[in-house]
Amino acid sequence: MNTFNGRFYSIFIISYYTGYVVLGIALLMVLPILTAVGLQEWNPFWDFIITMAISIILGLLLIIIGKQTRHNKSFVQWKHGFVVASLSWIILMFLCAIPYLLSGHVNSILDACFDVMSGFTTTGMVLTQDLDHISLSLNLWRHMLTFIGGQGMIVLALTFLLKETGGAYIFYVGEAKDIDLVPNVKGTARIIWKISMVYLVIGTVALWIDGLAIGLTPLSAFFNGLFIFASSWSTGGFAPYTQNMMYYHSFSYENLTIIFFILGSLNFGLHYAILSGNKKELLKNIETQSFFISSFLASILAVMWLARTGVYHDAIAMFRRVVYNVLSAHTTTGFGSVYARQFALEWGDFGILILVIVMLIGGSACSTAGGFKGLRVGIIGNSILADVKRLLASERNVKVFRFHHIKDQILSDGLVKAAALIIICYLITFAIGTLIGTYYGYPLASAAFEAASITGNVGLSIGITAPGMPAVMKVYYIIAMYLGRLEFLSVFALIGFIIGGIKKCWTK
Amino acid sequence: MLDKIIKLLMLTVSLLFCLNGSVFAADVIELNQLVENAEAMDGQTVTVTGEAIGEAMERGDHAWVNINDGTNAMGIWMPLDDAESIRVFGDYKHHGDQLQATGVFNRACAQHGGDVDIHSDSITVVTAGYAAAEAVPTLKIIFGLVLVCLASALGMIYLNVIKKK
Repeated sequence: MNTFNGRFYSIFIISYYTGYVVLGIALLMVLPILTAVGLQEWNPFWDFIITMAISIILGLLLIIIGKQTRHNKSFVQWKHGFVVASLSWIILMFLCAIPYLLSGHVNSILDACFDVMSGFTTTGMVLTQDLDHISLSLNLWRHMLTFIGGQGMIVLALTFLLKETGGAYIFYVGEAKDIDLVPNVKGTARIIWKISMVYLVIGTVALWIDGLAIGLTPLSAFFNGLFIFASSWSTGGFAPYTQNMMYYHSFSYENLTIIFFILGSLNFGLHYAILSGNKKELLKNIETQSFFISSFLASILAVMWLARTGVYHDAIAMFRRVVYNVLSAHTTTGFGSVYARQFALEWGDFGILILVIVMLIGGSACSTAGGFKGLRVGIIGNSILADVKRLLASERNVKVFRFHHIKDQILSDGLVKAAALIIICYLITFAIGTLIGTYYGYPLASAAFEAASITGNVGLSIGITAPGMPAVMKVYYIIAMYLGRLEFLSVFALIGFIIGGIKKCWTK
Repeated sequence: MLDKIIKLLMLTVSLLFCLNGSVFAADVIELNQLVENAEAMDGQTVTVTGEAIGEAMERGDHAWVNINDGTNAMGIWMPLDDAESIRVFGDYKHHGDQLQATGVFNRACAQHGGDVDIHSDSITVVTAGYAAAEAVPTLKIIFGLVLVCLASALGMIYLNVIKKK
């Protein structure tokens, strides 16, 4: 039964679904609260109680405002999905920043919002200070944000909180996770979360055991294993200590993270295909092909370049300090096995350029990775080859070109155009970020490195991202992380919706 | 008598200088300075100070202890006996022991896979660590309780108005 009256029904729909997303994230705060109680961290306990209560109040108010939507679900359109996704991210950024702010480990609300957006987008840049002294419950929260952000928090909230999710695919696409593993979205979301949770258990146990072997105490090994897995799998790059991966001084620990962040950067569809017995997909898939080719080339070039500088003397050092960082950058993870300033001081312009390129390319579509994705690079690469073949072929010969991604697909002009548009949007965001960096006096190579890391949701830093950097850069970096993760369309939809709403009010 | 006092004073002052020679502020280098000047400092014996953080990670007869001096953090590779002399490590509930470590700085340690580290010759606990007192402000508790009451009231309204319909 249609009970919607008036021109502003979209506001009720958006309010209703956004309310559920906020409520979902509020309920997740139970985990850091329980951790705080278990470890008797009483300040963080109250910080999370306050944040959870505020989130529940806001979530319920939004649901009550949009309650008519319960009887008008057929009115939900694509634009609502995009707007709910983009708006929820902004609201959640402010709400999830509260525990950071109350902890006293950030200088301002802007720094807190930066770190939350960095977590949600699985970027991994940090403005939180004195990481070595933050509570375990806040550390858990940091890593939960990046884990949830990587799998898709809008879908998580809506799939598990709402009974009817007939139109949930709309929200799925809004969060740049457009994949249908099974015919219904609820099933697809559950498969994605099931895959992630199985890996979470395996990964945490593996890192826990290795943590014990490298000298961590059992409790510390568990929490470090959990945090580092969450960061690896979600290609986030957060770590519980200031030194990031350098804290552990362990080759085996680094190798485990390589396995998990490469797995995390692969398409969920690929995981599902392999788990369903279709192992050939790993070799046939256009994304895995492009990822392995570009990783290999980038690693070889970086190793050759750094071998000339003579910083690293043996193969193990080359692998741990060069290949590790190249793979971490390419999968958009952002774990660092060297100090940020070492990139600027030791890697040289060529080394930095290699990292900039792989950071912009990123991982696979519909994975936890960022960047403009191997799928789009593969599509553009194939379309160039197809055009060359068309030029060389007879005019009477009409040929259809295909590529393989989960299934054989036709390389249509529309697909190529869509891929090119997204890549252009990424490059513009990167260029603006570089421009702002150079405006504030940073060297071109450093500004480009940081802008690529932010735009591609990577998290490696060359030393620019720090609490003392200009506020304008912090704001732009937040916007760039947000745009990069939601792949532009949802944010454009939100802007369009706001402008449309203003026009409606104006013309009334 | 005056002569004796002057001699004693001179001896005391000279002894003070001798004993403190190894801990002159000018000799202690910041960790960030080491990172920034890694090429120049590579292979040199340096003295650094910083708070022991996290925990000691035992590796055979040696251990890794990471220290943070406020400018940066770095791993110190030290004999296990030295690591065991550190009583408190910094975390949320503790301010760790302040260490002074003297050893060889490596820009890309050949023994440890290219790690930036310091292989210590000597470790001294300059200041003992301690448990950090945690006091929750009363205002925070009151604010939290008020918000919990408000959220519960709204939850009841939600259950009665929305869910019952």
